[in-house]
Parts: sequence; C-alpha cells; structure tokens
Amino acid sequence: MAKSTQLKSDALMEQMKLHLSTDAGKQLTNKIGLVYQINISPKKIGFNEESYVVDLKKGEVKKGPYDGGKPDATFSFTDADFLKVATGKMNPQIAFMRGAMKIKGSLSAAQKFTPDIFPKPSKM
Amino acid sequence: MAMRELVTGGAACAVPGSSSSSNPLGALANALIGSSSKTQERLKEIPTSATTISDGNFYAGTDEQLNMLPGSEFDHPLQSNGQGAEFFRGFRSADQGRLADVWDEIHSPQLPHAQGRDSLTNLPVMDHTVRVNMPLRPDFDGPPQRVLSSFLHSFVNSNRGGIPFHPTPLPVLGLSEGDKQCIRDRSSIMARHFFADKNEDFINAQVNALLSSLDIDSDIQERGPQPGRFRELEGYWNESQGMLKPGPHAADGWVDEYAQHRIQHGDPNAWAHSFELQHGANGWASEFEHEQSQIASVNQIGGSNIANLAAMEQTRMLAHTLAQNNDPKFQNSKFLQFVSKMSRGEIIIEDNQMKPAVVSARGDWAAEYQQQYDGGHTWADQFMHEKLSRGPDGWANEFAAEREQHGSVDQWANEFSKLQVQDWAEEFGNQVGKGALGENSADNWANTYDDFLNEQVAAKQRSDTSRGIYEFSDVNPYVGHPNPLKEGQELFRKGLLSEAVLALEAEVLKNPENAEGWRLLGIAHAENDDDQQAIAAMMRAQEVDPTNLEVLLALGVSHTNELEQAAALKYLYSWLRHHSKYGTLAPPEMSDSLYYADVARLFNDAAQMSPEDADIHIVLGVLYNLSREYDKAIASFKTALKLKPRDYSLWNKLGATQANSVQSADAIEAYQQALDLKPNYVRAWANMGISYANQGMYEDSIRYYVRALAMNPKADNAWQYLRISLSCASRNDMMEACDSRNLDVLQKEFPL
Repeated sequence: MAKSTQLKSDALMEQMKLHLSTDAGKQLTNKIGLVYQINISPKKIGFNEESYVVDLKKGEVKKGPYDGGKPDATFSFTDADFLKVATGKMNPQIAFMRGAMKIKGSLSAAQKFTPDIFPKPSKM
Repeated sequence: MAMRELVTGGAACAVPGSSSSSNPLGALANALIGSSSKTQERLKEIPTSATTISDGNFYAGTDEQLNMLPGSEFDHPLQSNGQGAEFFRGFRSADQGRLADVWDEIHSPQLPHAQGRDSLTNLPVMDHTVRVNMPLRPDFDGPPQRVLSSFLHSFVNSNRGGIPFHPTPLPVLGLSEGDKQCIRDRSSIMARHFFADKNEDFINAQVNALLSSLDIDSDIQERGPQPGRFRELEGYWNESQGMLKPGPHAADGWVDEYAQHRIQHGDPNAWAHSFELQHGANGWASEFEHEQSQIASVNQIGGSNIANLAAMEQTRMLAHTLAQNNDPKFQNSKFLQFVSKMSRGEIIIEDNQMKPAVVSARGDWAAEYQQQYDGGHTWADQFMHEKLSRGPDGWANEFAAEREQHGSVDQWANEFSKLQVQDWAEEFGNQVGKGALGENSADNWANTYDDFLNEQVAAKQRSDTSRGIYEFSDVNPYVGHPNPLKEGQELFRKGLLSEAVLALEAEVLKNPENAEGWRLLGIAHAENDDDQQAIAAMMRAQEVDPTNLEVLLALGVSHTNELEQAAALKYLYSWLRHHSKYGTLAPPEMSDSLYYADVARLFNDAAQMSPEDADIHIVLGVLYNLSREYDKAIASFKTALKLKPRDYSLWNKLGATQANSVQSADAIEAYQQALDLKPNYVRAWANMGISYANQGMYEDSIRYYVRALAMNPKADNAWQYLRISLSCASRNDMMEACDSRNLDVLQKEFPL
C-alpha cells in the first residue's frame, strides 16, 4: 500500500470495497445499481489522477478506469475534497458549485451519489 | 482600472473616423485631477470674446477663428469638413487635449507659459477673471468648445460644497446624437463618483439639470440588440451596482459601449474578437457581465483569492443556466437567489462556510475613485503617457496593457481555464436541455440547497482547524486557577473531558512549555473525538519534549485516523528510535526516506525482542492499520490486551480496527468494553454510532451519536455523521434540531 499511493481516499476506497460485501453494502448495490468512476488527484483536478470504479451494479470497487464501457457518471475530485464529500463535511452540490467536483455523464445518476454510500472510518 | 476604463471609456464615444479614444469627460477629469505634470503643455486656445453664432452655421466661423489663433494653427490644423461634429472630435481628441488645456487655461493658477507662448499676454488676465467667476457663475460666452467645457466644469464644481447645479440656458451647441449620448452616459456615471456621498435623487437631479441644459434627452433610447432573455443578466448588473445604484443611464451606457465595440472593432482587435470566439454571436451580453466581474475582482480582490473568483464565475454561469428555467417556483427559490448572489460576489464560500462578501462588490468604485483622486498625479501621468502612444487601436492596447499590469487578471484567467469551468457548466446546461434532470430536479436542487443553507446557518463559524495551530476556547473559567494542571488531571480522571480540556488549556496558556499539559490536552481531545485539536496539542508537546514516547505514539495514531500515512509513519518510526530498548534497532539515517515495509520489519524485530511489552504490540497494531492489514492489526491489539486488559483506549483501538475491516458486530463488543471502563469516552460512543450506521442500522446509530454529542457538542464529525444517519433513517423531521445543534430535542427524541 504505502508504495503504491499516498492518497487518503485510497483508504476509504479500500473500506468501501469491504463494505460492499456486507449486508448493508449489498442493499446499497440493489438500491443504486449504477457504475461510478471517480478520478482523484492529489492536489489539483486533472493532474496525476488515480481512477477508481465504484461499481454499484456488481458491488465492486476497482482501481483503474472502467473497462466495461461507459460509467453512468464520472466524478473528478482532489483527494481532500473527495474525503470531505464522502464523510459529509461537504455537500456534493456545494462541491459542484465550487468546482471542487466535476461531473461527466448522466446528472440523474450523479444525483444519487450522496455521502451515505460510503462507510465511515472508525477512529482509534 | 475600472475608473480609468470608465473615464477614458474606450472608443465607445468616438465617432467613426476619429482616431482618438478619449472623450470629453475623460479629458475633463484629467484636467480636474491636475495636469501640472504634463509634458506637452501648450496653449491651444485663447479665449476670445466672440459670441456664439446661433444660426447653426457657427462652426465655420469658429474654425476660422481657431485657425487664426496664434500658435494653434501649427499644432492642429482642423480639417474643415464643415460638419458640426468636427469641433467635437477635436474636443474629445486626447492628442490635442483641448478640453484639458482649456481647463488649465481657465483654472490653473500657474498657467504654463512654456514654449514661447508668453506672447499671449492677454491670457493671464483672462485666466484671472474666469477664475473669479468660475465656480458659481461660469462664463458661457465664447466658442462652443469653451462654452461646453466651462459648462461641464460648473457641473463638476457643483460637487464641491454641494452646491446644486442649476440648469442654465446655453447657446445652441449643435451636438450630434452620438455626442449627446456620450455626454449623457459619461456624466451619469461620473456624477456618481463625484457625488458619492450624496443620495440618489440629488445625483439624478444634477445629471438631469446638466442634460436638460445641453438639450440632451435623458430618456434611454433603444439601442443595440437586446434579446429578452438577457434581461435577467441586465437585472443582475443593475443590482450589482450596489451603492452606486445608477439610473438606467450608467448601465445602459456600458451596454451601449459594448454594442458599439462590437460593431466598430469586431474585426481588427483581439479583444473583441476573442469575445466572439468564446461566446458566440450573442455572447456580448453575458460577456458584459463577465467583464464586469473581472474588472471588479481585479480592483478589489487583487488576485488574493483566486478560488473565490473561480467560484463566483462558476456560479455565475450556473445562474445563467438556471435562469432559463421558467418555473416560477424555481425562479423564486432561495437556491437561485443564492447562486446569483454568489455569482455577483456578494457571498463567498470559504472553508465550506458562506460568508457575505466583506466589501460590497461594486461599491468600491467610488472609494477607488477617491483614492485615484487623491493620488491624482499617478493617474494623470499614466493617462498622459498613454495619450502619447495611442494609436488607432489605442484602447485595445490599453486594455491589454492594463491586463498585463494587473497580473492577477491573467493569473485568474489561467486558473479559470485550467478549471475548465466551462466544461461543466456546459455539461450542466446540456443535461438541463436534454431534460435529463427530470421533472422535479430543479426543486430537488433547490431543496438540497435550502437544507444546506440551514445547516450552514446552524453550524458554528468554525472552519477546518488549520493544520497544527491549536485553537483555544473563547471563554475559559479556569484561567486564573491556581493549579490548572492538577485540576485538569483530576477532571480527566473523572472522565469530564470537555472540562479537562478547559483546565488544561488554562495550564498551557500559563506554562506554554509544559509538555505534560500539552500531552494530556492532546489525549483529552483524542478521547473527545477531535483529532485535529489532538494533533495540534501533541505537536506542541513534542516541540517541548521531542522524545516523549506517549506523545509520539499519540501523534502516530491521530495521523493514522486522519489517513495521513506519511506523517503517521514518521512518528511511529520516531517512537522506535527514541525508545530506550529498541532505539538501537532503528538506524538514524533511515528517517530520511521511510518505507512502510522497513518500518514494519523493525517493529517485528522489536516485538520478538520483548514479546511481553504491551506497548510494542500496540504500535505494531497501529502500523498494521496504516497498511490496512486489519487481521494482523487485530491480532496485535488482542496480544496487547492480554497484557493490559484495563486499557480502555486499547479496547477502542481494537474495536475501530474491527469496524474498519467490516467486523462490526465484534467492534461493538470491543467498544462496549471500552465504555465499561470509561463511560465518558466520547470517541467510543461515536465509534459505536459509526458501526451501527455502517451496518445500515441508522436509528441505533443516531442514539449513539447523540450520546457522544451530549458529552462533547464540539465533535464536528459526529454532527456530520448524525446528519447522514438522520437522512438515511428518513428522520427529516429532526434535521432542524440537528442543524441548530439542539441537543435537548435530540436527546428527548433519541434516548439511549
């Protein structure tokens, strides 16, 4: 891990991967049933992006761009902003207005992307 | 820049064919500000006693007269095309600067006699007379040019001492429509600067008096294409004038200018050209506002806050798109109002908090003008300088030069283009166009926004704690306590964490070098579920005592919680290095480039050295958390717990690790152990809530969050999570209580 990436979001994605295997995660998959691609940049959107696919059809999280066609929606964030949105510190709409979140694809699909789909990290 | 643009006005007022880009009021303002530094001081006019010929044919006569003036014929022979605008063209020509000179001539006490013009001996006398008369009874005799200039002067003068300006019958000046329009627009704008301290009625009265004297219709004429759908934008513009609050004139003048620019300069100059490229055929109206926000931002913000500018721009475009939704409900929604406010810079968003902009956006113009006025020489110098170099494309060059001077514009523009704002705005527009949002989407947005607004209003203005800066509480009853450290330790033992925090803050305020005070404060914050403050306090402790193992471990744990791997690794490695027993294992040169695998290996060596040391297992467990090897981490913590079964924070660490590896049921057991040992352990309560929420048991999670918050209302994370759980549990009825942080209501509704 430490060698591959320094993104904080990576930890959350990892947790999401585990989360999708639980009952709660499966409910989520049934409820949303869409594929999101999330591009995360360390500092500035568009630079050194890492792509993750949060596949809420199959209930998977994968690293790298989506290879099954076109994702329903693609988001771009900086690392810090993604964490803010995912942990409820920033409202996605506000993030969008500030340009902290960029969206491509279907906007109705994008609107289902709410903070509650991510599990919350517990603290030691 | 705005003021200069305003006064010099670009070429908008220039009649076609004129090679100049100045304008009467520009020259007037220049003169007003003081032109003693002019390098080309020349007398181009001398006052004559010739009365105006009122048969409409006076230009010929005037020309003749002017041509006969000593000295003037060499400088600017007038083309005698005989048309009335001729005079005016000369009048506004900055190269010739007649108006300015006339003004000097009339008004300047040190009338320049340079360059062999001394022969005009009649001048000083004239100057004197006029000066005496000038402010109250301007002399309206003489050639039209003089009449007009002194007339305008008396208008300007009326601001000094607040003497109302009275309409005066004037000889017919034969102003062309363009001239009139120009005067109307400029005077109305400038009046608002001159009379910045006066009310609107006064200003309008002044302007109307001037205009009626000049026989200029003050009505706005329909000019230029003005498609209905931009009325909204026009509205923004007018509103955004803020305290300037112009009548229709000012805004119209600008619009008109832009329209003229497009016609006259659409082709050759880059600026106008790029407009079209960027904004398509009817882009001018939106560009107008765009330009507006640029100018305003350059002036007042000076590039200090690029993010806000970008946000403003983005919302502006969003507002534009949204404004095309005709649903009246949506049009009246707070959301749209918010977006449009934000697009005008009245609201800025900072650290996810909305704040009203500190200075009213365009209100600064007046202030800026005042500044320029005070430092008038610079302004005048610059103006003169540019006069010299002005070519046919003068205004465009000038504009470009301005842009270079105000580097922030470019910076802003670059920043802006990098963000590719247009992309998403277009995207958004497309989506709306396709109807992808569906029927209720607009409402949806509006509602979401309203929710958010409430949340923000309720939220304390507590921005993200800046890294490493400890934030002290505002009011602290323990300040002045004889022994706050002892008090703090006592409170901490009793489990009154929030009280302990206050006492310990008092201690470190009293003794900033007390490492133990800082350390305990950090621990109290960590147990209170506030890692940012915990990190800040621990860093102060580490400054004082760089080798304290507990501090280093705490920093490692907090950074792990914040997902900051590199920092966490650094502190955990330091822990090993400074440990009396294991320090020898850690080669000092390694600290420069830490690799997780190496550090993990060292800790495993250490654990083999002394398997009975609980601490080494704890650190190892944290380290495995960092690499997300949760099973190993759980094993390490369990080993440590066998050695230290009454360590409540260790139980919590085990629980958090289990929760993060989705063993939520086990986690809840571990948390319960921790809470049995320390009932006021806020972090464990909050973690309980998280575990229930992650299992989809939102009602239960709410109870635990509320319990945690009852003990530490400052635990922001818990508030955010509570909000999410309320929404997932469809308890929107409690949202308001959450947003206003009303714990009484929440505790009653969700008892544990």
